[in-house]
Amino acid sequence: MFELSTDVPNLQALRGGDYDAFDALYLGDFSCPDYPKNFSSHPETLAEGVRIARDQGKRCYLRLYAVPSNHELDDVRRTIDAAMGLPFDAFEVHNMGLLRVLREMGCTKPLHLGVFGNLYTHETARVLKDYGVTRVYPNPELSLREIRYIKDETPIEVLVQVHGKIPLVISETCFIMENAHQGAETCSFFCSKSHWLTRSQGDWSLKDAGRMTLSGKDLCMIEHMDRLAEAGLEHFFVHGHGEERARVAAVGRAYRRVLNAIAGGEPCETQGLVEALSAFAEMGLCNGYYFESAGQHYVGRP
Amino acid sequence: MARPTILAPAGRLEMARAAVDAGADSLYVGPLGWSRRPYESEMGDADIRRAIDYAGARGADVRILLNTFPSPFEYDAWLDAAERYADWGCSGFILSDPGAIPRLRARLPQAVLHVSVGSGISNAEDAAFYRALGADLIVVPYRWGEAQVQAVRAQSDIGVEVFLFETVQTGKLCPGRCIMSSYLKFRDWTEMEGRDAFHGSANRGAKECYRVCQTRWDFGPIDVEQAAPSLKLRRDAQLMLEQIPGMISAGVRCFKLSGRERPTPIIRDLVAFYRRVIDGVLDGACTDMAAYAEEMRVLEHRWVSEKRKRVGTLMGRAVRYGEATQDQVAEPRQVSVHAA
Repeated sequence: MFELSTDVPNLQALRGGDYDAFDALYLGDFSCPDYPKNFSSHPETLAEGVRIARDQGKRCYLRLYAVPSNHELDDVRRTIDAAMGLPFDAFEVHNMGLLRVLREMGCTKPLHLGVFGNLYTHETARVLKDYGVTRVYPNPELSLREIRYIKDETPIEVLVQVHGKIPLVISETCFIMENAHQGAETCSFFCSKSHWLTRSQGDWSLKDAGRMTLSGKDLCMIEHMDRLAEAGLEHFFVHGHGEERARVAAVGRAYRRVLNAIAGGEPCETQGLVEALSAFAEMGLCNGYYFESAGQHYVGRP
Repeated sequence: MARPTILAPAGRLEMARAAVDAGADSLYVGPLGWSRRPYESEMGDADIRRAIDYAGARGADVRILLNTFPSPFEYDAWLDAAERYADWGCSGFILSDPGAIPRLRARLPQAVLHVSVGSGISNAEDAAFYRALGADLIVVPYRWGEAQVQAVRAQSDIGVEVFLFETVQTGKLCPGRCIMSSYLKFRDWTEMEGRDAFHGSANRGAKECYRVCQTRWDFGPIDVEQAAPSLKLRRDAQLMLEQIPGMISAGVRCFKLSGRERPTPIIRDLVAFYRRVIDGVLDGACTDMAAYAEEMRVLEHRWVSEKRKRVGTLMGRAVRYGEATQDQVAEPRQVSVHAA
C-alpha cells in the first residue's frame, strides 16, 4: 500500500547501511558528480548496486545528476547507457533537458521527476507525462492541499518527503570548496564534515552540502502521516543525504511503524517517536510547507 | 543576423515612459501579484494599459511578466489575465511554469513567449525542451558565456536572451532552483495584491525573495573553535560591458536589463548607455568597450549603491515580518567575500 524510500549515494553506503525499513532505494547523489563513487556518475558501480538492492527485495531507482552543464551531458549519457540494460525500476530526473536526452536514447524506463524539477502545477505534470514521467516530487514549498490537487487532477503518482533536511537550493559549483577550503583544486570530500550557515539575527540556520543547501531543521511529519494518507498519498521519502547510516535506519523504522499502523487501521502513538526523532535533529524539527507556513516552522497538530 | 533588442524594466509607469524615451525596444512589466517582485515593483492594470499605449505609439512594445509558478488553484485566473493583456496590445509574455507554455501558445498563437530565468535551465537540451513546448526566447543563466550561448543556438532555433550582467562562476545558483527565502519567512498577501488562493513564496508571486543569499552568514563546521568566516552566498552581479560584442557575435537576440525596483533615473541612463553601446557594435562605430570604461564605472557605482539599499530593505522585512522583535538587520557590507 505504502512505499517508504530513501537515498543511497554509493556502494559503500549501500553495503554498510540498514535499509530494512524501506521498500525502495534511490541510488546516487543527484547534487554532486564528485561525491565519492557516486552511483550517478560511476556507471561501473551500477550493476552491483542494483543487484544488492534487488537481493534485499527493494525497488530500485537511479538518480541522474540534477544540473548537468553542456560539457557534462556526455557523462550523464554514459551513466544512462550503462543503466538502461539493468533492472532499475525507474530513473529520477531533475532536468528538463535530460527528458529529451532519455527520449533520444530510446529509454523506456519509467521516469520520476526529482525535487529540483520545479514541479508546481498539474499543467506541468501533464506535459511531463508525455515525456514518460510517471512520478513527480513536487517542489517542497507546495502545501498539502496543492499536492493533493496535482495528484488528483493530473493524475499522477506523487512522492513527498516526510523526514530529513529539505533540499532548498542547488548549484553547479561547490560552496565548501570555494569558501571553506579556498585553494583546493580537487575535491577531498570536505562535505563529509557537516558545514553550517548560521545567522544570529532571525535565528536562521542552513546546512550546506557543497553543491546543495539544505534546511537547518529536520522536516518531521511523523505525527501527520494519517493526514498524508487520507490525502491519498502513498509514496514517502526520507532524505538521508549526509546523515549517519544508523540515524537513517532509525528514522526509517519509526516511519515504518506508523505506516504499518495506518495500513492496519490501528492507532499509533507518535509523541514518543517525535521526541526520539527530535534527539537526532541538531537544529530542531519543522513541518516544511505542508500547512501553508514558512518551511522552518513546526506547527504541530493543526 | 537579426538585430538584438533591448528589453527594459518598467516597475512604474514613469519608468516605462523613461525607458522608451531612452531607446528601449521593449519593456517588461509585472502585473500585481503575478511576477517575481513585490508589489511596489509591479503595476496595476490601468498603468499597464497606459504603458502599452505609450510604447506602441513610439514603436516599442510591452512584454508581460507572468513568471511566477502559479498555484494550481489559480491557473484559470492566470490564463484569463494573459488574455486580457493580449487584448490590450501586449506583444508577449515571460513565463516560468513549463505547463503554461503550451496552454498560452494554444490560446495566443501570435504572442512572443519568453522562458524566464526562473525556469533555472542548465544546458542546451533544456532550451530545446522549452522550444518544443512553444517558447520563442529563453533567458539563460547569469553565469553563461558565449560558448553556452552558441551551444543553445546549435541545439535549437530558440532565441537567446541574456541579462546585462557579466557572467560569474561561483556561488549559489539563483533564481529558479532556490527556496531558501520561503523556508525562512512568508508574509501574507496585501490587500492591494488581491489574491488569497494560497500562502505564497518568492517563486509564487508578490511574495518577495528576501535576498538571503546577499546578506552575510557565518559559515563552517559547528564543532570548530575558530570563528566562522562571514560571507555572502553568491557574488554580486556586475553590469555587463566587455562581453557585449562577443554576445552579439554569438547570436544573442535580446539583452535584458534588470531593475524594476530601482529608481527611474538609473534605468533611464542605463537604457540610453546600452543603446549607444549595442548600436555602436552593430554599426561598427565603436567595438572597443574600453572606450566606455569610465562611463561604466560611474553607472556601476550608482547601480551597486541602489542595490545595497534594496537588499537592506528586504532583509529588514525578512527579519521583522511576523515577529514582535527588536531584531534589526545589519546593513550589508559592500564587498562580498568573492568580489574582494
